[in-house]
Amino acid sequence: MLFAIAATATLAALYFVYPITSDAKEEKIFVTHTGGVIKTSGDVLDPIYTAQTVEIDPDKYLREFNYGRTSSVDGKTVREYTIIAEDDKVMEISPGVFYNVWTFNGTVPGPTIRATEGDWVKVKFINMGSKTHTIHFHGFHAAEMDGVFEPVGPGGGQFTYEFEAGPAGVHPYHCHVMPLEEHISHGLYGVYIVDPKKPRPPADEMVMVLNGFDTDFDAENNFYGANTIPFYYQHHPIQIKKGELVRIYVVNILEFDQINNFHLHGNLYHYYPTGTYSVPSAFTDMITLSQGERGIMEFTYDTPGKFMFHAHKTEFAEKGWTGLFLVQDEVVQ
Amino acid sequence: MESTKTSKAKIAAAGIIPLVLLSAMIVYLFGPGAELVNFGTPLPNITIERVDFVESEIQVTARNTGPIDVSIAQADVNDRIQPAAIEPDKHLARFETALVRIPYSWNEAEPYEIGLTINDGTRFAHSVEAAAPAIKPSIDLVSYFAVIGTYVGIIPVLIGLLWFPFIAKMSPAKYKFFLALTAGLLLFLGIDAIEEGMEISAERLSGAFNGQLLVATVVVGSFVGLYYVSEKLVSRVSSASKSVAIALMVSIGIGLHNLGEGLAIGAAIGLGEIALSTFLIVGFTIHNTTEGLAIAAPMARQKPMIAKLAAMGVIAGAPAIFGAWIGGFQYSPISAIIFLSVGAGAIFQVIVAILKWIRQDEQGLLSAPTAAGIAVGMIIMYVTSILI
Ligand SMILES: [Cu+2]
Repeated sequence: MLFAIAATATLAALYFVYPITSDAKEEKIFVTHTGGVIKTSGDVLDPIYTAQTVEIDPDKYLREFNYGRTSSVDGKTVREYTIIAEDDKVMEISPGVFYNVWTFNGTVPGPTIRATEGDWVKVKFINMGSKTHTIHFHGFHAAEMDGVFEPVGPGGGQFTYEFEAGPAGVHPYHCHVMPLEEHISHGLYGVYIVDPKKPRPPADEMVMVLNGFDTDFDAENNFYGANTIPFYYQHHPIQIKKGELVRIYVVNILEFDQINNFHLHGNLYHYYPTGTYSVPSAFTDMITLSQGERGIMEFTYDTPGKFMFHAHKTEFAEKGWTGLFLVQDEVVQ
Repeated sequence: MESTKTSKAKIAAAGIIPLVLLSAMIVYLFGPGAELVNFGTPLPNITIERVDFVESEIQVTARNTGPIDVSIAQADVNDRIQPAAIEPDKHLARFETALVRIPYSWNEAEPYEIGLTINDGTRFAHSVEAAAPAIKPSIDLVSYFAVIGTYVGIIPVLIGLLWFPFIAKMSPAKYKFFLALTAGLLLFLGIDAIEEGMEISAERLSGAFNGQLLVATVVVGSFVGLYYVSEKLVSRVSSASKSVAIALMVSIGIGLHNLGEGLAIGAAIGLGEIALSTFLIVGFTIHNTTEGLAIAAPMARQKPMIAKLAAMGVIAGAPAIFGAWIGGFQYSPISAIIFLSVGAGAIFQVIVAILKWIRQDEQGLLSAPTAAGIAVGMIIMYVTSILI
């Protein structure tokens, strides 16, 4: 009897003390970005080198501009857009990490709305979420179009925002329902670009929304990125052409952190805060943006090669906000 | 014949039917598809049990201690995402462990926080006060631990045994006082071991293991087990050698306790807690001399049996060496709690044996010398615990 009890106790103890191991698999070798070499029979945990299956595609988002359905009324261009809010999607925001994103038109960030100064903008907003949402556009608009005092109810509530596009520049839009931080940090934001009447010089244009996710709800971001997916442009360098003007519309939409920044390697850029003035405020390789701050960056690379861009707040860089430009003589897109 | 068979079957059925009904009810309440008892969303949990700093690599042992399966998505060092490998794989069933290997050129003596993020984005972290190279079993280290174990375990106990002639010559009242004193000393050690077990359970073990109840279960289990064995042992020997039998049981109990001490020292060295390990070595060395006293006391009315005493000293002290090996090379919070609790149970058994020995006296158990002895024993240990 005593023996039986002792044996039971020992077996039970061994079960907990020593790991249960499954069958060994084939050895694989991987090299980290710091040059560390590791041989393993297990899985690789690495947002950079793990294959990314992206539902939210930063490459597609980068150069996608939505000009709306256009018509002309009394010689004035009218642009109509539809934006649908949802808050029940669970998406893979970093390899293996699934998070409940709140989306405008199914993605984070929402679509980039683009119009020319003086156009009449009509945004039909449909709330298919389970909570009240709105859209608050930065820029000029009437008081009753502010997206603050016109809550749009869940389950199909509608509202149409109408205003004349202006001023020229790059502006954020986001939900403005309390608790504001929650609605924004879950993903309800996007970019609204107003082109000046006299167009800017032709360029390879792209949008970068600097964002982050607090996946464990401790009011600190676990992930940072440009256009949502951490390390994405590190793994998929953005191809640009040597000698061609590059124009980036940068918006810092981070919650929980006071600042964010944009540092460019091997080059400097002309920076136009908010994009409202046509004269750059600086020729620099580093600017710092507070929450909601944005601007336009213009630069040209004259030599081919890989050039990094990232937050000079290195914490953000090491948690995903880092990427590469691949400068080439010719670019196939 | 026939009737006894059927009645046996009836009894068996009577025993089994309630069990069947109970399992049916449990399946109905908690089984798949059960909706009556719904406690809301089960939250995943993982516990980082070990962090080892090896050549250019940080190795993390993590266990799924939550109610549901999880998969680990990402590793970080000081909250900065790091590439890593996970073996055998990133999916962890309940209570399964995995080894996460993070290539990282860490700096000795610096503090680190290691984090693991699971599939739902929750991050679990574990802090290490000062990084120190993980120890790997080697002849040098094995002998180093043996030497430490000898200094902490065997030598102090043998020194304590030198009190033998002193106790042997004293009056019955004083002798009783000394027996009670050892009981007091041991009582303190037993409580101390339980406290230590509780502390490990709180700091290093996930709630999923019910560490505090594990302590209680193992303490009681080892107490009753050893009590039964010692009763058998003592009842079989002649009354003349009863004192030797009790002293032997005392030294076995102390030996189990010293296994726990060795474990604590080995683990402290193994986990790189240098300050703690020094503290433990000094502390245990001093108080282990009192254990020699505890062994010597029951035999003090006998003719001195030097060889037997020395053997008992070794029985009581040598487990410290084994403890140091286990703690240093194969530390796990659960095994530490189990060893400490076995030690505590063993000590309580020894106390009972000593008190029974005292009770044989015509004055009975509760006399002035016994009460004073127990109290003074506790106070001595308490004061040394503060001083060290
Ligand atoms: Cu909202």
